[in-house]
Amino acid sequence: MKETLINLKNQAIAQIGDTSTQEELETIRQEMFGRSGKITKITRELKNVNKEERKEIGILLNDIKNTLQNVISTKSNNLKNSTRTWFDVTIPGKKPKIGHLHLVTQAIDEISKTFENVGFVRARYPEVEWDWFAFESLNMPSDHAARDEWETFFVDTPKHPKFGSMVLTPHTSSGQVREMMRVGSPPIRMINIAKCYRRQIDVSHYPMFHQFEGLVIDKGISIVNLKGTLDYFAKNFFGENRKTRLRPYNFQFTEPSFEVDISCDICSGNGCKLCKEGWLELGGAGMVHPDVLKAGKIDPKVYTGFAFGWGVERTFMMKAGLNIPDIRLMYSSDLRILTQY
Amino acid sequence: MDILISDKWLRNWLTTKATPKQLESCLSLCGPSVEKIEKVNGDLVYHIEITTNRVDSASVYGIAREAAAILPRFKIPAKLRPMADKPKQKFVKKVSYLNAKVDPSLCSRFTAVLIKNVKIADSPKWLQENLKAVGERPINNIVDISNFVMHEVGQPVHTFDYDKIKNKKMILRNSKKGESITTLDGKQHKLPGGDIVIEDGSDKLIDLCGIMGGNASAVDGSTKNVLLFVQTYNPSKIRTTSMKLAQRTGAAVLFEKGLSTQLVSTGITRAIELFGQIPGSVVKNNILDIYPNPKKIKYVTLTSDFIEKLLGIKIKNKDITKYLNSLDFKASWKGKDLTVVIPPHRSLDVTIAEDVVEEIARIYGYHNLPSELMAGSLPEKNPLNTFTFEREIKTILKELKAVETYTLSLVAKKFEEENALKLRNPLGKDGEYLRTSLMPSLLAAANTNTGHHGPLQIFEMANVYIPRKNDLPKEKLILAGVFENYNFRTAKGIIEKLLNLLNIAYKTKIEGVKNYKPSQRLVFENGAIAFGEFGNLENGFAYYQFDVEKLHKFANNIKTFIQPSQYPPQIEDITLVLPGKTKVGELIKSMKQSSGLVSKIELTDIYKDSYTFNIWYQNPQKTLNDKEVKTIREKLLGVAKSKHGAIQKD
Repeated sequence: MKETLINLKNQAIAQIGDTSTQEELETIRQEMFGRSGKITKITRELKNVNKEERKEIGILLNDIKNTLQNVISTKSNNLKNSTRTWFDVTIPGKKPKIGHLHLVTQAIDEISKTFENVGFVRARYPEVEWDWFAFESLNMPSDHAARDEWETFFVDTPKHPKFGSMVLTPHTSSGQVREMMRVGSPPIRMINIAKCYRRQIDVSHYPMFHQFEGLVIDKGISIVNLKGTLDYFAKNFFGENRKTRLRPYNFQFTEPSFEVDISCDICSGNGCKLCKEGWLELGGAGMVHPDVLKAGKIDPKVYTGFAFGWGVERTFMMKAGLNIPDIRLMYSSDLRILTQY
Repeated sequence: MDILISDKWLRNWLTTKATPKQLESCLSLCGPSVEKIEKVNGDLVYHIEITTNRVDSASVYGIAREAAAILPRFKIPAKLRPMADKPKQKFVKKVSYLNAKVDPSLCSRFTAVLIKNVKIADSPKWLQENLKAVGERPINNIVDISNFVMHEVGQPVHTFDYDKIKNKKMILRNSKKGESITTLDGKQHKLPGGDIVIEDGSDKLIDLCGIMGGNASAVDGSTKNVLLFVQTYNPSKIRTTSMKLAQRTGAAVLFEKGLSTQLVSTGITRAIELFGQIPGSVVKNNILDIYPNPKKIKYVTLTSDFIEKLLGIKIKNKDITKYLNSLDFKASWKGKDLTVVIPPHRSLDVTIAEDVVEEIARIYGYHNLPSELMAGSLPEKNPLNTFTFEREIKTILKELKAVETYTLSLVAKKFEEENALKLRNPLGKDGEYLRTSLMPSLLAAANTNTGHHGPLQIFEMANVYIPRKNDLPKEKLILAGVFENYNFRTAKGIIEKLLNLLNIAYKTKIEGVKNYKPSQRLVFENGAIAFGEFGNLENGFAYYQFDVEKLHKFANNIKTFIQPSQYPPQIEDITLVLPGKTKVGELIKSMKQSSGLVSKIELTDIYKDSYTFNIWYQNPQKTLNDKEVKTIREKLLGVAKSKHGAIQKD
């Protein structure tokens, strides 16, 4: 009995090895394990074997069953592999055509989300604006350089008796007094993102660009809060390890005024070719000038505030590490540029 | 403005062991920003940005004064050497050697002194080296003194050849339009009028004040007697002339920012000192000083509470005093009240309490202040804004494979309506008008991509500017787009999909206008209100534009749930042969209306005049049997034939 079994096993393994198709393999499987297969039969006859031998034969039989099933399935896999049709997975994929949103749209999305998360309210104010909102109410003297024809576009219309000339707004700051008038009384946390125009065109200037303006007015707003807001923005917009610093600067509508720098992420603040001693310039900021609060009918004895206004394009380019050599390319309609983002 | 400061020159006035690197970083944090340090012939040169309000620091001495106040805050000792601001000579209202008539609204302080027997020669080497380091070419001892004093003190100084001034007479006045003057550089200027000029006794212009001297009275190799000339001019006058004539001289850049009249005294003192070093020269004892309205000493008062409120932290009174005094202010306390005397060179810049806080804060160091987000209640959203809706439109278009662009709102006249707003000072003819339509810009955008193969879809969402009488223009937000290499059905499908997704109910009507091919423009209406258009343009592109405000008004953001029918539809394809000029849209409408049980008709294929439609028959209450479908089909085909002459293909 034992010998018959071992012979059967060896014979079967040899036959399995000789098969070259799945069909042949299946025939052998049937011969062994089918309803009237050899192994099936022996299993059935096991009860006739005497008690002493039965245990031993049983173990052997089980062992042979397992071995043969393993051999069959391995062979089956081998046959499958060898008979599979040739297929080239290195062939390039067909990329679906998709649409693209402009960099400025993407930038505005991110900037507004960052500020909306800490309670800022998005706003938008006229792109064609009266001199009064763009300059006069912002404490800019009538002979200020920004108000002359070399820097700001003027619209060829008669002057407004109260608000003066019509201009293309050169900054989002013209929304400051408009927001104060809309809200009436603080708290104000505005993030005004809008188109601006300046009379300049070269590699780093385009006559049309975008700015975002933060304005916070409430009781007890201090430079410490401005620093807190800027650090929050730097961490959430640029990355957890970024820091900001303030340097003295000058704007008519803020006092004190600052230039805001952000730590460089290329050199982690150690100084490199792209930055100045580890810092990159972000833009201007300051504490709202009391004259501006007065223009917006807010009492500077009760309320204080801060403001900052930066270029959307520039800030986003700094984040994305985009080294666009000429800002004018951002306003090109060339698909080879527009579809990069 | 950017200035250059030589390290050696600076250390003539500033005694400190600070390294150039330390100077750079400390100044940048608390004062003027040092952009870089450059090596020049054994010297180092700081490139420094001076803000317009701090023209008082746009000089060697100005920077030395800032450094002397700032460095000690970084525990680096520094001391400023005092500079004399009063000469040995006397300031008098009249002198025998010059008869000057000055308009005080143009020139608030006018000084001049005659220096006789000046021997023209090269300047001493040290002076030449200093000038060279900051990029000035040494010329001769007279010209070099002017340049030297301007760099060192920040006060422009001019010298005339005294013997060339006719009748020893000067009239400082406004120029008349069209008057002409030839300046030192040989350029002849036709003056715009209203420029500050000086006329001598022969009615000739000899100085374009504050910008550049006249050639006729210039110092040259044969000059013997020099008139040294130091003034304070009306800043906005200087800026206007300098910009109009495109003469951006160093003097003009300083004058236009508004210089302190005190600086005239310092400047002339230093210049006289240097002239005195030229052997043989004799300075007259009386300096002409026309200064009818001397500046008064100014004060600012504030409280320690105010300082704390604005800073967000408390600084000790004695520290405040120390910081202010280090900048030449004079601080005195009475309890919580602080009185600050403003030094003359800061009188234009520091006028209110906030200005004083800025001085305290920057010397304390902004970097030493903590950083905290504000607490307090949050403002409410502005209900009028549609930012989210605008963004939704853009997202949908992106999904529909459109590419967004931003084009310039300033366009050429040929693209604009008669009444479009015009700029008074455009950058060029291409951008003279504010656009009232996005169409020309988008067509230009499409044309930019003529090399592009395959379908192309560009869109923009931007304001157009519709003029209004005696008011700002209406800024109308428009969504517009252009299709190139798109078949009409695909393009139209995109527009239909967009309106479906925005859940806007609409009807269309055909209405031709300029730029579109006749009868190939659809107007979209909700009720009787048109809110957009789509069609084929004369130039072959398909184009659309919508009024975003109206889209927002008509968009229904409540999407009702539709229960899918439990009874399956019977679906079949029917091919119809259509006579020429059949409007398929109308045909589908008629077929659909032929029975309430036709739930959907889609055009799936067109081959020559054969149109294949995929037709759904469906009863929401039961499953239709073949017999019932047959009846509906016959009705549908009957209408197609009778109304449109469409016949089923065998």
